[in-house]
Amino acid sequence: MSKTELHQPMETFAYDDEIVKQFSLATIIWGGVAFLVGIICALQLADWHLNFGLSWLTFGRLRPLHTNAAIFAFGGNAIFAGIYYSTQRLCKARLFNDTLSKIHFWGWQLIIVSAALTLPFGITQGKEYAELEWPIDIAITLIWVVFAINFFGTLWRRREKHMYVALWFYIATIVTVAVLHIVNSVEVPVSWYQSYPVYAGVQDALVQWWYGHNAVAFFLTTPFLGLMYFFIPKAANRPVYSYRLSIVHFWSLVFIYIWAGPHHLLYTALPEWAQTLGMVFSVMLWAPSWGGMINGLLTLRGSWDKVRTEPVLKFMATSLTFYGMATFEGPLLSIKSVSALGHYTDWIIAHVHGGTLGWNGFLTFGMLYYLVPALYKTELYSKRLANIHFWTSTIGILLYIISMWTSGITQGLMLRAIDSTGKLVYPDFVETIVRIAPLYWIRAFGGTLFLAGFLVMCYNLYKTWQLAPKNQKQDLYQAPALSKAIPADDNNSGPWHRRLEGLMPAFSILVLLGIVLGSAIEILPTLIVHTYAPANSKVAPYTPLELAGRDLYINEGCYNCHSQMIRTLPEDVLRYGKASLPEESMYDHPFQWGSKRTGPDLARVGGKYPDLWHYRHMLDPRSVTPNSIMPVYPWLFDDKTDFAILTKKFSVMQSLGVPYTDDEVRTAPETARAQAMQIAQGLSADSPIKGLEDKKIIAIIAYLQRLGKNPELLNAAEKSEAQPAPEVQ
Amino acid sequence: MSDSKLPPKNTILSDEKALLLDHDYDGIQELDHPLPRWWVWGFVCCVIFGIGYMGYYMTGPGPSSKQELSKAMAEIEALKPPSANGSAGSEPSAEELMKAFKDSASLNHGHEVYTTKCLACHGDKGQGLIGPNLTDDFWIHGTGNLADVAHVVTTGVPEKGMPPWGPVLTATELKDVVAFVHSLHGTNPAGAKPAQGNQQTFKD
Repeated sequence: MSKTELHQPMETFAYDDEIVKQFSLATIIWGGVAFLVGIICALQLADWHLNFGLSWLTFGRLRPLHTNAAIFAFGGNAIFAGIYYSTQRLCKARLFNDTLSKIHFWGWQLIIVSAALTLPFGITQGKEYAELEWPIDIAITLIWVVFAINFFGTLWRRREKHMYVALWFYIATIVTVAVLHIVNSVEVPVSWYQSYPVYAGVQDALVQWWYGHNAVAFFLTTPFLGLMYFFIPKAANRPVYSYRLSIVHFWSLVFIYIWAGPHHLLYTALPEWAQTLGMVFSVMLWAPSWGGMINGLLTLRGSWDKVRTEPVLKFMATSLTFYGMATFEGPLLSIKSVSALGHYTDWIIAHVHGGTLGWNGFLTFGMLYYLVPALYKTELYSKRLANIHFWTSTIGILLYIISMWTSGITQGLMLRAIDSTGKLVYPDFVETIVRIAPLYWIRAFGGTLFLAGFLVMCYNLYKTWQLAPKNQKQDLYQAPALSKAIPADDNNSGPWHRRLEGLMPAFSILVLLGIVLGSAIEILPTLIVHTYAPANSKVAPYTPLELAGRDLYINEGCYNCHSQMIRTLPEDVLRYGKASLPEESMYDHPFQWGSKRTGPDLARVGGKYPDLWHYRHMLDPRSVTPNSIMPVYPWLFDDKTDFAILTKKFSVMQSLGVPYTDDEVRTAPETARAQAMQIAQGLSADSPIKGLEDKKIIAIIAYLQRLGKNPELLNAAEKSEAQPAPEVQ
Repeated sequence: MSDSKLPPKNTILSDEKALLLDHDYDGIQELDHPLPRWWVWGFVCCVIFGIGYMGYYMTGPGPSSKQELSKAMAEIEALKPPSANGSAGSEPSAEELMKAFKDSASLNHGHEVYTTKCLACHGDKGQGLIGPNLTDDFWIHGTGNLADVAHVVTTGVPEKGMPPWGPVLTATELKDVVAFVHSLHGTNPAGAKPAQGNQQTFKD
């Protein structure tokens, strides 16, 4: 404490710990929901019967609910609890405004509830981790602004001159998530329940994975690193290992992370230079990521005996280990040749669950074991139960990731196996599913163990809460106000970064510049220049019925299991046909390239089977593909297609640049009905099924039969290629 | 009442005393250990690799994914046995087919292949389902003799949803399944699909 501060009069203040308690409770409740839905999804993959033939319980609709609940409900509430607790103490100031805190809390819970009330009913944008429809997107923006005002307001009123490293990470989180969410959510509403993004095809893919990857970076990594920097030194009573390392790894992490998104799109139709940047920056990200792990683990130097006995440290040290593992695996998977094997398989599922269960989950559990006794001024009810939680959940995570590594690598190797005569050894995709299906049971069991451990924690924390002494008085703290007139000796001397730590606005602007630079270089060229889609492109936009079917495909969450992107890899070309061209998805608002193949790629499924095949397949997939694990879709045969709204949909698409004429917009419903009638008649030639043409199944069939059907385009592309790849399909 | 001015109770190891900084955030202190050497070198190596990789593939001679694909596909193409008619996969000869048709082991093998690849559309007994009946005298494509069936199975009828199996099945699988399909002729199974195509007269 410098001498200047001592001359300031002391101020007395209290922290708002009620809001921390509320967010902690919400973390626990939504955590339970996220884990439970995850187990249901895992079981559905192990046995398709568990989809129960109910639309709102089917995998394609539940999986987005699981990811959103885990990331934004469990992770989000945990972040808010930890940030609000630590920021007040690091700033020696109460939160900026109690009302804003309340709006933040209840607003966020409402957003979660509205997600739970829309996603199972197929109300989705079909973009991963950004599924929520536009009214909820607006609510998220508003609540995030409330959070930002509350946070930066607290920083503004801080009584501690310098900002500690945890606060740097919080600043990066708040600034970047705002940018990501707003840029990725530019969309035009069709109705209260539906919108189309302004981006299409390659552009949409690039923006979406810039968002998707950095949601991992700035929602699941930077805030948790900040929490780690607060809670580990507190719980261990140890100084942070290296201030210098904090500086270097913070800035390199923030600057490099933002570039890495395209590693989700290797070997796709994304321009190659963007793929190269995505891979290279992911490899360079390894060291900055490990900087956080090193600083955390070495802070525990000389205190490893405490890690054995203190639940807080035990969970946090293990979470850092999982963090180190996942951030090594990430760069590894970003190397193109490794991605060729692992992408679209369960290897990625193993990777993300090592991160979320191990890193985010365990760090949150450690934090809760610290916070609940601290907030209620008591001791943890039982260290033994915490130990049981630790081991149950650790074994659960290990079973989960080892089974999914095995599954992913097995499937990847099977899919690429080519025999001595140049043929695929396993031409039927379902053969690979039969092989890996037993591993889905092990995964589900691992997830159940994780949940069981979590429930033990809930009980332990409940008993701890019961131990809390009654009639607690609000703690008061004292600190001198921060002199706004910065003393000369402090401002103009000392290392530049130390000075920067005292300048909150300058620091935040630097972070913003750091993330905007990489984003702009990577995204703007594709947004501005339309060279990826030649001007004389022969791509025909979707017919009204195909568009209706496409929207149903998105509603049902088909993209959760099926890609529409044939990569420039021999195994993909042999199995699915010619590699996908960028212009083939140029009118796709949103793109549907997918990120996981639990079923085969559908980019060229059009015309591969007769209409009747699809009809039977959607009714009972196993009647045409024995051993398939796809759910049944009986409601598509009962529910009617909304033809009337097609005019509106077409006019929105037209405004987004899809070349529909005004006539086509006006007559969209009639055109769709005519096409539906044709398909229905073909299907029921022998025994007409009454009213079949109005049913959703007809629209879905129209869309599926259209996929990859751009004969003129494909012929033109073939001629223009110097060395055409032999077409096998 | 807590006093934020109490000195932190942190454990400082003997080798750390000189590294302790004058930082105190609600009791959290910071040491100023130098960056771990291996970490710095690891970082530097990754950056050098990154620059080299970008140089090689973005401005240098590195092949594009499309070029690599063409090369790999040409290698795969070279593995394929020479084909008589230039279509993907070669069609078995008449003698091979006849030999398989007369050999019960071949027919059993053909049955297995049929079960995994054909059953879904043509029914378990060839009675027809999504695809046409394979047991009657009526044929849509060709005359239903061994060579014609082999041709349809090899090249497919994509516009009708019959996939080309030439690129998928091995030569043995292909001749055996054709022989098996031919052996179904005249079995008249229950629930047979109504006749489609032209009536043919069979000699064999």
